[in-house]
Amino acid sequence: MQIDWLTVAAQLVNFLALIWLLKRFLYGPITGAMARRERRIADRLLDARHAREDAEAEAETLRQQQRTLDDAREGELAKVHEEAEALRKRLEQELRIEAEQKHAAWLDHLKENRAEIALHMQKRMAAHVSDSVRRILSDFADTDLADQVATEFSLRLASLGEEERLRLELAAVKMHEPALLESGMELASTARGRITRAVHEHIAEGIEVEYRTDADVLLGIRLTLGHQVLEWSASRYLDRIETLVGESLDSAASEAADAA
Amino acid sequence: MQISPDQWILAEWQGTRLNATIAFTWLVMLILTFGSWLITSRLSTGESVSRWQVMLEVIVTGIRDQIAEIGAEEGDRYLPFIGTLFLFIVTSNLLSVVPGYRPPTGSLSTTAALAIAVLIAVPAFSIARQGIVGYLRTYLSPTPFMLPFNLVAEVSRTVALAVRLYGNVMSGTVIVGIIISVAPFFFPVMMQVLGLLTGFIQAYIFAVLAMVYIASAARTQPLPSPDDATRKEP
Repeated sequence: MQIDWLTVAAQLVNFLALIWLLKRFLYGPITGAMARRERRIADRLLDARHAREDAEAEAETLRQQQRTLDDAREGELAKVHEEAEALRKRLEQELRIEAEQKHAAWLDHLKENRAEIALHMQKRMAAHVSDSVRRILSDFADTDLADQVATEFSLRLASLGEEERLRLELAAVKMHEPALLESGMELASTARGRITRAVHEHIAEGIEVEYRTDADVLLGIRLTLGHQVLEWSASRYLDRIETLVGESLDSAASEAADAA
Repeated sequence: MQISPDQWILAEWQGTRLNATIAFTWLVMLILTFGSWLITSRLSTGESVSRWQVMLEVIVTGIRDQIAEIGAEEGDRYLPFIGTLFLFIVTSNLLSVVPGYRPPTGSLSTTAALAIAVLIAVPAFSIARQGIVGYLRTYLSPTPFMLPFNLVAEVSRTVALAVRLYGNVMSGTVIVGIIISVAPFFFPVMMQVLGLLTGFIQAYIFAVLAMVYIASAARTQPLPSPDDATRKEP
């Protein structure tokens, strides 16, 4: 048990010096490093938490936007459906109107054609009838149709009413050109002479008569004195045929419309 | 046989003698300081940490945890003192496996110096915490009649600290010396290994006891609360 008090004092100083040295080189740096690391980890955790919160908020925003987009898409789809339906109806309506217009145009065209066809048929039938009648009269009765027509026209002039005869006379007096006589067939000279005599006898003496052939007159004779016209022809019969043809065409058109 | 390294004079210059206790203490101080500087000069605060830094962090964290377990408030205040006590004693003791080395803790002068340091530190920390009046009041608690006993306890525990450490370390050295003279081959090695264990345990006991003394002195008089201060003013 020996205590060297000088050594004790030296050791005390040494110990205090060691405390200072270790505090300077060991505890300070180590605790500082650990504190910095803990702070850094805490900061990272905090950053991670913030990042996670941000990410969750962003995800929620994106989900919200997705829902909004879905809703908008549904709305747009419904709107497009409505527009398509409206367009379909409009086009359908336009097509219907166009079809109706075409139908009406076709009917008009048919009607026009009907008149043309009827006229054409009328002419051809008249030609046929006159030709047939001329041939029958020629073959079986030894009679010329033109001659018969001239005779008939002369008789008609003879049996004119007083009022009509006066009207024709007045017209004949007023006019300066020759009277025009148009027939559907070529008249023989005897027939022409008979008609000229009948005109001189019953309407106006000494009037000059000019003869022409016109297919439109149809089995008859038309006498034109200025503005006055006297006509006898088979057109009455042919008008009846035209009516029958028109009725046939109407029934055909209605059947075609029903089929369409 | 030189029981104490104090008697081993390594150098003498103009009447000043350098004994082995001081020389080996300087060696221990150099190892601790240089080793710490070497490691802490390349400290990392990132994810990648060197093994040596991990070792130092484990040691420092272990000491802090021990201080906290003893129940001292503001444990970091005591870390340099308690930590240095432990590291100095344990390094001094563990180096005894080096041939030719004599642990400074085997000198009663060293252990006495350490015990005196504790003797000074206990009131110093207590006064720093609760003031001189508060500290002196602890000698009169629970009654003024306890003053002599408190004074005796203060001195006796300082002496006990010093003698305990000195006795354990010195006895280990002496026992090894005796056994070498009797059985020079196998038993001294075993005793050296045992000495490592007892040296570590002694360092731990010394540091823990010092901390207990400091903590108990600091806890004797609780800190005055702000309510108490305002109550005393009128």
